[in-house]
Amino acid sequence: MTVLTEPIRQVLEIKNFVGNEWVGSKGEVVDVVNPATLKVIARAPISTEDEFNAAVDVAKDAFPDWRRTPPLARARCLFRLKELVEERFEELSRVQTMEHGKTIDEARGETRRGIEQIEVAAGVPSLMMGYNLEDIASGIDEYLIRQPLGVFGIIGPFNFPFMVPLWFAPYAVAAGNCIVMKPSSEDPVSQAKLAELVEEAGFPAGVWNVVNGGRSTVSAMLNHPDIEGICFVGSTAVGRDVVYRKCGETGKRVIAQCGAKNFLLVMPDADIDKTVAACMTSFYGNAGQRCLAGGNLVVVGEGLIEREYDAFYKKVMNAYVGTASKIRVGYGLDETVQVGPLRDKSKKERVVKFIEKGVEEGADLTLDGRNVRLVGDWPKDCFLNPSVFENVSPDMSVGKDEIFGPVTCVIRARSFDEAIEMIDRNPYGNAASIFTQSGRWAREFQYRVQCGNVGVNIGIVAPMAFFPFSGMKDSFFGVLHGQGQEAIRFFTESKVVIQRWF
Amino acid sequence: MTEAGSDEATASAVMSFVERLEDSSAKFYREMAERHPENGEAFLRFAKESEKNKTLIIRTYQETITDALEACFSFKGLKLGDYEAETVLLEKNNIFDDIKIALKLEERANAFYLDVEERSAQLLATIPRAFKKAVETRTRRVSELKEILKASAGS
Repeated sequence: MTVLTEPIRQVLEIKNFVGNEWVGSKGEVVDVVNPATLKVIARAPISTEDEFNAAVDVAKDAFPDWRRTPPLARARCLFRLKELVEERFEELSRVQTMEHGKTIDEARGETRRGIEQIEVAAGVPSLMMGYNLEDIASGIDEYLIRQPLGVFGIIGPFNFPFMVPLWFAPYAVAAGNCIVMKPSSEDPVSQAKLAELVEEAGFPAGVWNVVNGGRSTVSAMLNHPDIEGICFVGSTAVGRDVVYRKCGETGKRVIAQCGAKNFLLVMPDADIDKTVAACMTSFYGNAGQRCLAGGNLVVVGEGLIEREYDAFYKKVMNAYVGTASKIRVGYGLDETVQVGPLRDKSKKERVVKFIEKGVEEGADLTLDGRNVRLVGDWPKDCFLNPSVFENVSPDMSVGKDEIFGPVTCVIRARSFDEAIEMIDRNPYGNAASIFTQSGRWAREFQYRVQCGNVGVNIGIVAPMAFFPFSGMKDSFFGVLHGQGQEAIRFFTESKVVIQRWF
Repeated sequence: MTEAGSDEATASAVMSFVERLEDSSAKFYREMAERHPENGEAFLRFAKESEKNKTLIIRTYQETITDALEACFSFKGLKLGDYEAETVLLEKNNIFDDIKIALKLEERANAFYLDVEERSAQLLATIPRAFKKAVETRTRRVSELKEILKASAGS
């Protein structure tokens, strides 16, 4: 077993990045711990409200000049940033593995996804165009232009520390705004590394700012009168009840992408081998810490008599549990490892509590991931192996609530309609997938299901950067979504001009 | 690197194997060019091809890898150790001995690329095409090696 070289060899002291300067903080400092090795890899500040407010002032001062910078010039900063990220691709990826725990393949995938956002945002000269019509009345023309608004706040989650802020940040600055970003205090290192490249890419001081912190920083962001809007990714409890509510009270724009309980349907005509491989990534990839992760696996018996349905179910489960039980869990920098640890011990404990609840509620724990077996000799504190529950009902807590860990809950549905009804009854509406070779079922599924991101033979329905990251019900609060054209619309206001010349 | 004998390789492990395979192939053919200058042009071309193959495959992987596809689960039943080949050229070897080693190397490399292409075809974007290109390169190379062997036997 060979573990790839760690790019962080000594503890990094993370500072805030404000006005293209690295600024210390008077706030308390927290450790950033590699969940696989339990070694401290960095220390990051919990910034004070004054420090956050000072960053907003700097961003606000930078706005008028940045707003007057031609979109093509703004795009060129993004082109340069993209090239710099490509040059540091492997280092940034390994940093994500160390700070979060994900495997190196997952980390490289995350880096690539982040780069794609920068690439799409660099298309801002086209994306930001308005439209016009001559002679709305004779001699009078009308046109629409899109203008940036000022300073936006971005609150990053722990599960994709590099990629998720990039669902928003490049579009915001491409459109002519300035940003103050608060990465997760649990894994802020990759954003600090990115900020180094922002400076090198030639963004003017004050356009892209990073203030590390916790709840108090979020609170300062929500309350600041000069923050025009906020982008948040995290739990529904915080997203809906804190961020969305406060933004409504203060008139701020908001994108709040929140929790999920995603259903994956396996129809009788599904290719089982390929379905199982897709489901492994969906349910267990990133140790299940993903808003697009599979939560419930629904084995559908549409058109089958009881005996056939039992045989089909058994075939699926044999393949599923057989594969899941062999998943290699360990340190993500070990290339043989397929699943890394959870982000920290408290997250593991939360998942363990769900597993205990599932057993209490009467589901059958076919595969118990609490029996931790690792590749390599690592402390087990943050690790869980894959778990599988069978005979789950959608009303059990494991069938209804977001577990955010490597747990598959298997549900039987006698018909397609029954499966759709289960999905629509669930309060979340982030993603859903169907595995089938029938165009008819696929179309019916995409047409009826009340989820924003729909997959056909796809386990993780992660939209590409040029599509919006959709979401419905308790998974999303706001109107416009992150990524692509919708992000540009979120970060700009439409101004309509009617002109006549005497 | 992945352990020999593991029954499912991750994409990362496969890519590391590709790097090792093409690096060792390039080194091997440069050595062949030194030992057998009469066919030096061909061997140096093979060395360059290996370097290009490596760049193409690694770049394709880096540019298309996404955490949303099955990078950790696409190479079921693949034991990377099965594709290792000897690349040591002994002092006492003549051209026939060395070409035999080269053919064995190409056979193993081809088997590797065919297997990874087949396994990943349905699950990973674009990467299987890069593997297919490597198969084409190696297949052409085998024909050329056999021609060199034939020509050497004739002379």
